[in-house]
Amino acid sequence: MADGASGAAERSVQVKLVLLGEAAVGKSSVVLRFVSNEFQANKEPTIGAAFLTQKCRLEDRVLRYEIWDTAGQERFHSLAPMYYRNAQAAVVVYDVTKASSLEKAKTWVKELQRQANPNIVIALAGNKVDLVQPSSSSSGAATPETEDEADDATATPGENAGAAGSEPETLRQVPREEAEAYAQEAGLLFFETSAKTGDGIVEMFTEIAKKIPIDQILASSRGTGRPGAAGGRTGAGQEGVNLDENAGKGKEACNC
Amino acid sequence: MSTISTQLRNFKEPTKEQLTQLFFALPPPLDPLEGEKSDVDQLEKMEISAVLVLQDEQSWPGKLYLYPPYLAFASLDRKSTRFTVPLSTIRRVERLNARAGVYALSLSLWHGVKIVVQLTSLRPTADLFCSLLRDSLKVELTRGRMKSVKSFVKSCYSEVLVMTAENEEKDGAAAKAEDGGPANESIYHGGLGLKFKFPGDPKKLREASKTKLWTNYLRAHGRNLTLLRYPQCTRLVQVGLPNRLRGEMWETLSGSLYLRYENPGYYERLLEENSGRVNTSTEEIEKDLHRSLPEYSAYQSEEGIASLRRVLQAYSFKNPETGYCQAMNILAAAILIYMSEEQAFWLLEVICGRLLPGYYSPSMHGTLLDQRVFESLVQRCLPIIHDYFQQVDVQLSVASLPWFLSLFINSMPMVFAFRIIDCFFCMGPRVLFQVGLAILKINGEELLRIQDDGGFIQLMRRYFATLGDSAHPNSSDPRARAITRFQELLLVSFREFAIITDDTILTERRKYRSEIISSIESFSKRSAIRNLRTLARFSKDQAGLIYDALFKAICIAPPTSVAFPPPSLLTTKDNAEERPETRIELKTFKVFLSEICTWARDEKIVRNGFQQRIDREVADHELIDRLFFFWDISYRGALSFQALDLVSGLDGVMFNDLMENIEWFFNLHDKNKDGYLTKDEVLTLSESLLFIFRYEIGDAYLGAVSRFMSNAFEYGDALLPRPEDANTDDDTPPQIESNQPYMNLATFRMVVLADEILESFFESDFSSTFRLQPVPLELPSSNSGLLGGLWHNITSDDNRKIFNSFTDQIGRTIGKHQVYHRPAIGKYTTLEEPKARESLLTPTMRPAAEGSPKDPSSPSSTSSVSPSSSSQLGAEPSATMTPLTPMPSMFQAAAQAAAYMERTPFAIDDAKDEDEDTEDESGFEDDGVLDEVDAFLEEHDTGLTEAEREVAKGLLLIL
Repeated sequence: MADGASGAAERSVQVKLVLLGEAAVGKSSVVLRFVSNEFQANKEPTIGAAFLTQKCRLEDRVLRYEIWDTAGQERFHSLAPMYYRNAQAAVVVYDVTKASSLEKAKTWVKELQRQANPNIVIALAGNKVDLVQPSSSSSGAATPETEDEADDATATPGENAGAAGSEPETLRQVPREEAEAYAQEAGLLFFETSAKTGDGIVEMFTEIAKKIPIDQILASSRGTGRPGAAGGRTGAGQEGVNLDENAGKGKEACNC
Repeated sequence: MSTISTQLRNFKEPTKEQLTQLFFALPPPLDPLEGEKSDVDQLEKMEISAVLVLQDEQSWPGKLYLYPPYLAFASLDRKSTRFTVPLSTIRRVERLNARAGVYALSLSLWHGVKIVVQLTSLRPTADLFCSLLRDSLKVELTRGRMKSVKSFVKSCYSEVLVMTAENEEKDGAAAKAEDGGPANESIYHGGLGLKFKFPGDPKKLREASKTKLWTNYLRAHGRNLTLLRYPQCTRLVQVGLPNRLRGEMWETLSGSLYLRYENPGYYERLLEENSGRVNTSTEEIEKDLHRSLPEYSAYQSEEGIASLRRVLQAYSFKNPETGYCQAMNILAAAILIYMSEEQAFWLLEVICGRLLPGYYSPSMHGTLLDQRVFESLVQRCLPIIHDYFQQVDVQLSVASLPWFLSLFINSMPMVFAFRIIDCFFCMGPRVLFQVGLAILKINGEELLRIQDDGGFIQLMRRYFATLGDSAHPNSSDPRARAITRFQELLLVSFREFAIITDDTILTERRKYRSEIISSIESFSKRSAIRNLRTLARFSKDQAGLIYDALFKAICIAPPTSVAFPPPSLLTTKDNAEERPETRIELKTFKVFLSEICTWARDEKIVRNGFQQRIDREVADHELIDRLFFFWDISYRGALSFQALDLVSGLDGVMFNDLMENIEWFFNLHDKNKDGYLTKDEVLTLSESLLFIFRYEIGDAYLGAVSRFMSNAFEYGDALLPRPEDANTDDDTPPQIESNQPYMNLATFRMVVLADEILESFFESDFSSTFRLQPVPLELPSSNSGLLGGLWHNITSDDNRKIFNSFTDQIGRTIGKHQVYHRPAIGKYTTLEEPKARESLLTPTMRPAAEGSPKDPSSPSSTSSVSPSSSSQLGAEPSATMTPLTPMPSMFQAAAQAAAYMERTPFAIDDAKDEDEDTEDESGFEDDGVLDEVDAFLEEHDTGLTEAEREVAKGLLLIL
């Protein structure tokens, strides 16, 4: 079996990816969408971290994502280092309808940049954009609904506010520009995603895959078996920075 | 992780008595809601050697414990035989007149089962025990607890089982169910499983035969409140509890039953009192309700979800510090299948509080600690696996953490997890470690092939999925083939890892506790500092020092748990979602400030011929209170590290230059922030200065403050706007109420700059009284559990105090005991006191300060200051620094100076009609008086003996 495993490593590259973010921003949903392309109530409660894998193809290589989906509750924070150590990639998720979740995301980014593998590729994901995108039905059709709901004073305050505004954008608490500017400043990949509709999920994982120094991982995993330990060279980090040029080239590269 | 937990530091190893209480699952004394409980607390506890004689004539030597209102027994090995029985279930105690020399008691329980114990101690001891037992029983009788037994046991399914069995016996096979029906029309508690079916196949689980075995056991050896546990009980638990009885046995074995018995109606009341209320956990609970065993049908219905919600909320209201932690939802959901909400509530209390202490707390220190313990046990028992994991850098916890945190429930198929939980409640937390080790051992070969954390997790997942398979599928022996992998697991757990005992776990926990705590602390410190929005002008290390000072303060004076505004103010959404943070109140702030600021503490340097030490105490003064509210910019009555109150507060004072410091000090005393100090505030400000200067050697600062006061009122009056309607010739200042705006910043600045000492004080000395120095975390006695060992016994705070006072006494008797106050600034020893500067006021600007010299009291008062101090100084070299009366002369002088100053305005009022031309002169005279005082002081200071100078020098060196 040991032979089989190392044989597989020749063909597919293992990438350890960790998901971090405030509770209920949809970390698990993002993973579920990516891994099994579905959206549903969470089946597996996240205790510490859930572990999932997904293979995907990038050009001529096969990547095998090992995804650690961590628990979001604040008190599990001290356990997080256990999961992000040796990770080559991290997705820090926030909820575009909740400003505080971006603040929490920033603290995660800070922590990762200081404590995690120095070459870690970090992506910032603003999830739940489906809530703030104008619905496909025209705004004219939405008007009568607004009136209906305005009568219903007992409706959930959040929904009511959204409906009364009739503009879904009012639910948005984090402007795209703000988060994007922060991501740029901090050197992160940035995406707005919706686990519900699937928007941006595959793109995100594809872009992460592109940015990961795969050859280096291959070299180091053959050597020590510890990608984090060997990945300390600074050259790779600089290489990753000029990703902007490659960005958006081949979106269909990841067939999963 | 921005909160600082004092729980960690305050941990104390349980006493022997507490350990006994924990072992027997005796409920802790109730919340002092009902005052009538006190008579129980006063009853004496006693333990006595005894032999328990069972009906089959087996006898078990052990110890009998009388811990009113409970009677408990444990055999010598602490596990074969034991019971915990509420005294209220005992109906009769007889002394058996058996053979000579045997002192045996027969205790008849309410249902007729008798417990026979021989007391093997000396006769007087046995007699004492019996009389204490009698007293305790009487108290229970008067409390009416005897009556409550029968109604309580109706809630137990075991009674139904026993009753039915007895009826069957009596009536033969005829009409059993109907006959028994009305009598035990029981209201026994049961779980969701009764309605939604229990997990697993009842036939496969052999429910019927298990139930029968248990019925027999319960009839013979008591049940629920009175269960006698002897080896057969443990064996029956190990083959798995029958579903219907499971919930009740869990609460009996874990002891949560006693909590439910002692607190009738508590759960309902708790829910009622908190209905409609929201706490920080409410939202977190809500999020997880549908993620708790979602595959079980009850949790797809509103009924199951509602039960789960109520139990978790009730727990979070009862234990606000723990609140709600993910994984508790899984536990609660699991136990609710087998027990009622009330039962589950108390069981959860026992799990989170006693069985898995600290697992679910905000710092999760218990979880981290037990993971560390587990790792060390793996290292000890399975060294090859441990070394291999080290080699390939696989972390044990990635797989084992959920095992412990959710009792295997979401790791393995539920039916198997519940069997482990059966054993867990029966035998305690060691079961988790034993099973964990067995899992690793069984999978040893494959574990030696994994390459990383992911491989480890996947291997474990595969293993758990096959627990129902045969352990020996290829064996020719059909009986060996029938053994499942799960059975194999239990076998390995309890056979091969029998060496893991409760004591092993306790010892290991003790060993690693301080390591875990300090790693949690340094983790929270790092993230707290990393998460500060700004470090202001501090370096990261300095911020760390501020954090340390705060940390120490919180350990010494823990904030009251609810440092938040009343709930009504918390209802806005933003606040409710705010992350927990550490806020300190005034009490803690004083300690904090004393760590950083030299004048906020009283430091005594004590020399007694053996040692020299510094005794530090927290000072108390209005100035410190003022500072607290000055920094509390959000008016919450509490300061926070995260909200930057402390950092920006210190930033506002530590980097100031002369002008900024003057302004800062002015603002600090300008309570209504109108840009003016009132006369009262000027006085307060002077008092603040005197407070800061209270331990300075010599009188230079005292002089400076008295000059400040006289100048302040002189200039203040001079610069007051004249009322326009008044006679322009009349230069008497308008009368100003002492609470009216009086002096603005510019005037204040001028007054301060008029004095060299004050100028230099505000220029640099004041800022440098704030010092960020490494805080030695030698904590008060509360940390006693941390260090452990003999050294700790010697160096504990209490002992050090004893040692110190002992050496002090010796020092005193040999005349070497000296105590000095360490000054906050320690700059001027007054040997060369700077002269006050020339007044900035032109003669015409000093209209009316002539009153004072004419007032006979003031010169005499000032002069009376000096003799008092001089006489003291003359009497004894170190008198200015005597321990109990810190600088009496200083305070006296201050008081008099203040009185003198207060007098001035009135004196002026009196002097209204004085001639104009005397004014300059008299003003001059006034100055002259002060100069005289200064000169006197100076002279006196230069009269310091050589010894005094030595002392002063020594003080400066220490600084």
